[in-house]
Order: sequence, then C-alpha cells, then structure tokens
Amino acid sequence: MNEILKLQNVTYIYGRGTPFEKVALDNVSVSFERGKITGLIGHTGSGKSTLVNLLNGLYKPTEGRVLLDGADIWENPKEIYKVRYRVGLVMQYPEYQLFDETVRDDIGFAPRNLGLSEREVAERVEEAAAFVGITEEMLNKSPFDLSGGQKRRAAIAGIVAMRPDVLVLDEPAAGLDPKGRREILGGLTEYVKERNSSVILVSHSMEDMAHYCDNVVVMNNSKIYGVGTVEEIFSESEKLSEVGLDSPAVSKIAAELIRRGIPLEGELYTVGGVRDALLRYMRGGAL
Amino acid sequence: MISDITLGQFFPGYSVLHKLDPRTKLILSVIAIVAIFFANSAITFIIFTLGAVLLIAVSRISFSVIVKGIKPILFILLFTAILNVFMTGGEGEPLVDFWIFRIYTEGIVRAVFMALRVMLLIVVTSMLLTYTTSPIALTDGLESLLSPLKKIGVPVHTFAMMMSIALRFIPTLVEETDKIMNAQKSRGADFSSGGLVKRAKALIPILIPLIVSSFKRAEELATAMECRCYRGDVGRTKLVKLEYKGRDLLWILLVALVAGAVITLSVLPYNPESYGVLYDILFYKI
Repeated sequence: MNEILKLQNVTYIYGRGTPFEKVALDNVSVSFERGKITGLIGHTGSGKSTLVNLLNGLYKPTEGRVLLDGADIWENPKEIYKVRYRVGLVMQYPEYQLFDETVRDDIGFAPRNLGLSEREVAERVEEAAAFVGITEEMLNKSPFDLSGGQKRRAAIAGIVAMRPDVLVLDEPAAGLDPKGRREILGGLTEYVKERNSSVILVSHSMEDMAHYCDNVVVMNNSKIYGVGTVEEIFSESEKLSEVGLDSPAVSKIAAELIRRGIPLEGELYTVGGVRDALLRYMRGGAL
Repeated sequence: MISDITLGQFFPGYSVLHKLDPRTKLILSVIAIVAIFFANSAITFIIFTLGAVLLIAVSRISFSVIVKGIKPILFILLFTAILNVFMTGGEGEPLVDFWIFRIYTEGIVRAVFMALRVMLLIVVTSMLLTYTTSPIALTDGLESLLSPLKKIGVPVHTFAMMMSIALRFIPTLVEETDKIMNAQKSRGADFSSGGLVKRAKALIPILIPLIVSSFKRAEELATAMECRCYRGDVGRTKLVKLEYKGRDLLWILLVALVAGAVITLSVLPYNPESYGVLYDILFYKI
C-alpha cells in the first residue's frame, strides 16, 4: 500500500503529572494513503483534533512515532518546521489566524516563511487564491473586511500556498452555508487529482464524508474504532450508531427500503447512488 | 506550554481551606501578611513556618505543586539574598574579608530572613487564596468585604464584576493564544530563534488576531449580558450566599493566635546578656 503518513502506536497525554492529566490518544496506529481523501470522524472528545495536531508536529507524541514517507518526523526536533511545510494543517475556524494588512500578504505569510523569492511568493498566492475562489479584488482588501465565508477561504489559501503533500483540514466547512460548503469541499477532489497529494478531512457531517472521501477512519474514546473505504464503513450503520455516530440520511432510507423488501444495490451512501439504484430497480423490476 | 504555569491557579478540592468563606480567607491573608512583615527573629520565623506547614497539610494540595509555584521567583529570591549578604554592614568582625567583599553575620541572617519572608508570603497567600479559592468566590468575597464603600459612592459591584470577568477570561485567552500560535506555526512561523527584533516581529501574527478576537468577545459578552437583563448592582441576588460558619471563627482565632505570637515576640526587646546560646540563636534580631 502506498502510505504517506503513518502513526505507529501513538499515545498522547495532556498535562502529564498534574491533577488535570488526560489521555487523549491511546496506543493508536493508523496510516493515510497517498492520492486519497481520507475522512476522520468521531464524536466530540474522541481525539480527532489531537491526532490532527500530531500529524504536522505541533504536538509531540508521549509515546510512539509519526512517520512521514517512512521517516520519523521527530528524528531531528530542530527541523520539525520542515514537516509543517509538507503536512499543511488547516485548523478549526482558521479565519482567526488572519493578521496581515491585505489578504495577499496574509496568504503569502507561509511562502515567505519558506524563504521563497518575492516572485515565487506572488505566484503561489495567485495560485492558492484561484484555488479557493478568492478574486483579485479581494486580494487587495484587509482580511478583516471580508465576509465569514471569504475569510475562511483566505485562511485555507494561506495553507494551500505552501503546496503541502498532505493537506489536513479540521472541520473546514463548520458554520458555512451549503453553497460555501460545496465550494470548499469540492475543491479538495481537484487538489488531490492535480498534484497526487493527499487530503485528510475531519468532519461531523456524514453526508460530506460519503460524498468527498475515499477512505474513512472512525475514532472513539481515544482509540481507532474502524478503518475502511466509505462503502465498508457506511454499510455497517449499526456499528457506527454504537459509538454515537450517524450514517448519512440517504443510506438510512436505503437500509429501510431493503428491510421492506426492495433489493437495492450500488453506492447506497450518496444521494446520487441511491437515486441510481432506485432507478435501476424501477426499470428492471416489477414496474 | 503556557498552560503549565501554576502560580495563581485554582486547584478544586474539598478540604477545610476550600470550604472556608472567601471573606475569612481574605481577612486571614491580611493578618498573615502583616505578621510576616513583623517577623524578625528565628523564633518568629519558626512559628510562622509551622503555621504555613499546617496550612499546606490541611489543604491537601501536593507539595510538588507548591514547589512548582515558587520556582518562577527563585531567581529573584537568590538575587535579593546575594545582594543582602554583600551589602549589609555589621558591628563585629567580618566573617569574610576579601578585596572589596565583606560579609558579616548580620548579612547572612538578613538574607535568610528575607528569602524566607518572600517564600512564606507566597506560600501562605497562595494556599489561602489562589490555590483553594475559585476566582468567582474570591471576587464575591472582595465585593462583600468592600461593600461599605458603596455608601460613599465607590462602584464596588462594577469593579468586582470587571475583576471576575477578567479572571474568567484568562484561561480562555491562554487557550486562544495557544491555538493561534499553533496555527501560525503551521504556516511556518518561528518564535524561538533569531535576534530580539526578529522575535518581537514574530509576535505580530499572534497579537493581532488575539486583540481582534478579544474585542469581538467583549462585545458579544456585553450583548449577552444585556440580553439577560444585567443592569448592575440594583436588585441583584446571588445564587451562592456568603455565610460565616463556626469554622470561620475557629480559623480566624487560630491565625490570630499565630500572628499574635509572632508580633508579640518580634516586638519584645532582645537582651543579649541574659539567657545563653539557645536564646541568642532564637531571639537574635535584625
């Protein structure tokens, strides 16, 4: 298998040795494939955000190793910043990190830290802005004058401008309207295709998972609960509901239809898939 | 990480100290602070230290936490102690007389007393107040103690409310700073290398988002308070009413006893020619 990022027996404990000690990750091993969009789900407090912060070396594992292309990222702690350029992390509500005078400068912050020439910086800013749908006019505005959705996009562009091999997004669509959601998440598929890089997407929305991801990692109680393709994970909705997670609404409808004796087949976890299955059934069936 | 700082942090618990009325603890702190500045001989420091040890034992807060709380001021302590050792003149023969350095017995005694005084001050006030009293209880107590000032037009309630809001948002701000730092680190920001100017500049990407969100939060909080009909002190009732209990009186008596002993002993004159060596060691005064 073509793995790009891998966690090996990773344990992470917050506030070790204080009365507030808490195990956030408990002996977790998981790997992420190159060229795929991997979804990370789990209810609040299951350890998703901790895991995400370990991927680019913001946190150091209490025990275990994080491997990027087979090499331990903590081998040389002084050069951990190099890992952060390769694994781009978009944090939750990233619009809070905007600070520069113009959107253009803000997106250029990371490329400048990379030590690129001004010409290259400008090139990357243009590219990243186009990718998230920030117009030329917006680039010259102050980031604080943008609307909520535009701020979010500018912040994501700030990470994309590093051209990371792995793009990690923690709830990138939280609090956005459906249109903004589609625009931001839809771009990810292209991102992966164009550069053969990988995306790791943390989300609470099962619909988004089913629609955009190839693989899914389910977390529960500081541990990995299940790993598989979207199909594998969402076909076992009982297992998901055991840990307080829902399947996509359409897959529940499909399951109910099957239970009532309508044999459906195919991608039963997206709206399109269920529609096609129903059409197939209606054309070929009794009607 | 910033959140590792323990000095001035509340540790929830159920000890007697936790249960004491916050007003009692404020009064006790004042008494203790006055007494520690009176202390000027070995015997008074011994009595005071025993009192502090009693407080620690009663609070059931682990000793390592207290050591951790003192650590940040260790440098200042050492610095003042060293200055005291070298700068204090004495009457008898100097213990060390080398080049421009002259060390007298008085200097060493004074340095030890000074260091002890600052350490005890911090231990006692943190045991009584910050470690065992929640910020909310503390401001409640302060408001209640200062309420007589309302008669002469001091807006005590407003000050107390401002203080509790400020205290309430310290952890939030710390968390937020942590988050923003991580976000900027993810964009390759470097806070730990380079010269002074470079490091100061590296703070801009943290400070600006922090200030912006603080203003935003203040506005939201004000709106939320108004939505819940907050209009200051007038007609406002409390969920937890402060009430003095038997144990409050007991503790005030206990601390008053220790403080009284310390103050009395420190005021008594020292008589060098009367009672022998042990007396000299215990009652020698600076």
